Amino acid sequence: MNLIEIKGLTKDYPLGRTMVHALRGVDLTIAKGDLVSLMGPSGSGKTTLLNVIGCIDRATTGSVKIEGVELTEMGDRAVTDLRLHRLGFIFQTFNLIPVLTATENVEFPLLLQKELSKAEIRKRAEKWLDDVGLTEFRHHRPSELSGGQRQRVAIARALVTNPSIVLADEPTANLDSVTGASILEIMREMNTRQETTFLFSTHDRNVLQYAKTVIKLRDGRLEQE
Amino acid sequence: MRLILTIAWRNLWRHRGQSLVVGTILFLGAALMTLGNGVISGMDRGLHKTIVQSFTGDWVLVPDAQEDDNVFLEMMGRAIEPIQNYPDIKAFLAERPEIEKHLPMGKNLAMVFNEDGGMPTFLYVLGVDFAAYARMFPENLTLIEGHLPPPDGPALMLPTGARKEVHQQTNIWFIPEGGVLDTSHLEGEAVGRAGDLSVKDNMVLMGFNQDNTATDLRLPIDGIFRYRALNSLFGSFALVDIESYRQCLGYLRADETAIVSLSHADSALFAMEGENLDDLFADPGTAAGVEGPALGGKPSSTATLPASRQEGMHPAHRDPRGDAPTQEKGVSIESGAYNLVAVAVKPGQASDASLAVFNADLKDAGLGVRAVTWKKALGPVGSMAVLIKGALFVFVSLLFLVAILIIINTLTMAAMERTAEIGMMRAIGARKGFIGLMFLAETAMLAFTFGGLGILFGGSLIEALAALKLTSENDMLQLFYGGDTFHPLIQGGDILLAVVQLALVTVVAVIYPLILARGVTPLEAVQTE
Repeated sequence: MNLIEIKGLTKDYPLGRTMVHALRGVDLTIAKGDLVSLMGPSGSGKTTLLNVIGCIDRATTGSVKIEGVELTEMGDRAVTDLRLHRLGFIFQTFNLIPVLTATENVEFPLLLQKELSKAEIRKRAEKWLDDVGLTEFRHHRPSELSGGQRQRVAIARALVTNPSIVLADEPTANLDSVTGASILEIMREMNTRQETTFLFSTHDRNVLQYAKTVIKLRDGRLEQE
Repeated sequence: MRLILTIAWRNLWRHRGQSLVVGTILFLGAALMTLGNGVISGMDRGLHKTIVQSFTGDWVLVPDAQEDDNVFLEMMGRAIEPIQNYPDIKAFLAERPEIEKHLPMGKNLAMVFNEDGGMPTFLYVLGVDFAAYARMFPENLTLIEGHLPPPDGPALMLPTGARKEVHQQTNIWFIPEGGVLDTSHLEGEAVGRAGDLSVKDNMVLMGFNQDNTATDLRLPIDGIFRYRALNSLFGSFALVDIESYRQCLGYLRADETAIVSLSHADSALFAMEGENLDDLFADPGTAAGVEGPALGGKPSSTATLPASRQEGMHPAHRDPRGDAPTQEKGVSIESGAYNLVAVAVKPGQASDASLAVFNADLKDAGLGVRAVTWKKALGPVGSMAVLIKGALFVFVSLLFLVAILIIINTLTMAAMERTAEIGMMRAIGARKGFIGLMFLAETAMLAFTFGGLGILFGGSLIEALAALKLTSENDMLQLFYGGDTFHPLIQGGDILLAVVQLALVTVVAVIYPLILARGVTPLEAVQTE
């Protein structure tokens, strides 16, 4: 079953007086439970594609569907709710809320959902922190954690809502190779155990070993492997 | 909401510098707002208490024929139209449930005759029944020299301000009858010139009558006094017994109404007209059985002509006590003419609506008078109080504006600095409303904490200022103080007003940064990386 269906996706944006064609007609399908690596050099359109799939950016033309829902016609509130309930994000710079502890950061999307009791939310957050090996750091704030620990908190936060897909934009770019490998290992483990679909961008060929599917982008066009 | 409050509270601590800047502004703003409100309240209450309770009452009844409502401080000294039917007005007022008390009075300008041959000067005179005055404005006079006026008979009470002004124009220094010069009370140009002063214990007032004649009247000075408050402003108003006032200004006196009564009873008096007028000046009892007054003497209890009609005789040659009329026995002093009636209404009844109803009823009763507010009756001074309040309001508003601009600037910078954080929150599912509430909560917490402290500080400052009991004799400062003493006042309403103003400032200041924060997109967070 295809989780993501993309047809004829283009994305143009102005840069000064010129128009940058970041995506030039991308057709792509991603199956549920896949672990997809999006490869390509800088400027190939990896981040733009992730942003459009994650409803962070709008397509210029084309169609983007997640679980059959067309994203390009959705309003701000609807895409916000979609991001909250169906998508998980892991950013390059381990974006966490600086004033919240590790546990509170993981709880954050669940608190926004307002679907579970506070006790259940706390229980689930602590379980995910345990899964990423941060139980003893659960009361620490981001500034008291290392880069790898922060990225693991971000992974726990991305997964705590049981999203359909987790989008990760170069999640290991700011980590050393050992820490980066451990992060990718966690993602692979979650993909296997939870059948969570992962789509992560990278320009590091060493991470390809973790991916089930590799998609190559060059100059805004797709080169599938 | 708990999540929002948690994030907001911790963000305030995280951005302590910005919080302190905004907090300090809110603190100062709230303190100044509270102080300003307290000063305005104090001034309001002071002015009301001082002017309404000491000079004018809440409303002033003026004759319909009187064009200008400003009857107290009309600077050109134009004569106020007379009220000839006070007994009817009194009966009307007695029936009104909203009226607490009232005082009829005369008010006009009289010339002070310079018996030393120099230039005369002018003096505002209020003609009153002193006993009624004391009931209407109790403890309003602080005696400096002399004594309070006798219950009947001619009397003149001179305020210190008027004494000083008259001295400046005439070089005459007035003291109470039978008193001695007290050099410690000398003021203005008189200080240090005790040996050169022309000291007198009675005053000759000359009133200009409606028929373009003048009547001069020598009055003994009973006492020198200060008004309890606003003496500098109202200190030009000398108090004269009402019958002397009427005589001086040529108004109908109560004893003249007695003449009318007698004329009905004894037509012989009119029969004398044109034939035996000289008999009027004959010995008492010789003129057609009517007792005539002895020239220059006190009128008898049944006198039909006032003893003081002595036009043409130099006032310096007359006996001051005998010059002025005394109250006729059996004749109500209220039957003569007045110019105004000061009316005190019961608490909570001095509204514009009550005044409108009252005026409509006055018109229906056909009494020929209308009621005006004390502010209108005071003319420019009443407006001055409003102007001072307006100036304070503008000042406080400018402070608000500056505070708002600084807060907007600081919060806008905070919003821009946190673009990545806000965008990330939006990316993982926070709605715009959440971001808006988060910003609002942060500002509200600052406003509550620092603003609350500011209000407490402002309130304490007001209490401290009130305890200092600052006094001034400067007219403008007295208006600002609402009396002689600065007594700012903090009330529940002022605190509520400060809270509302603070909330308004907070909301206005947070709108732009809030819009900015709500407008942050997840894409901006990614691009900020």
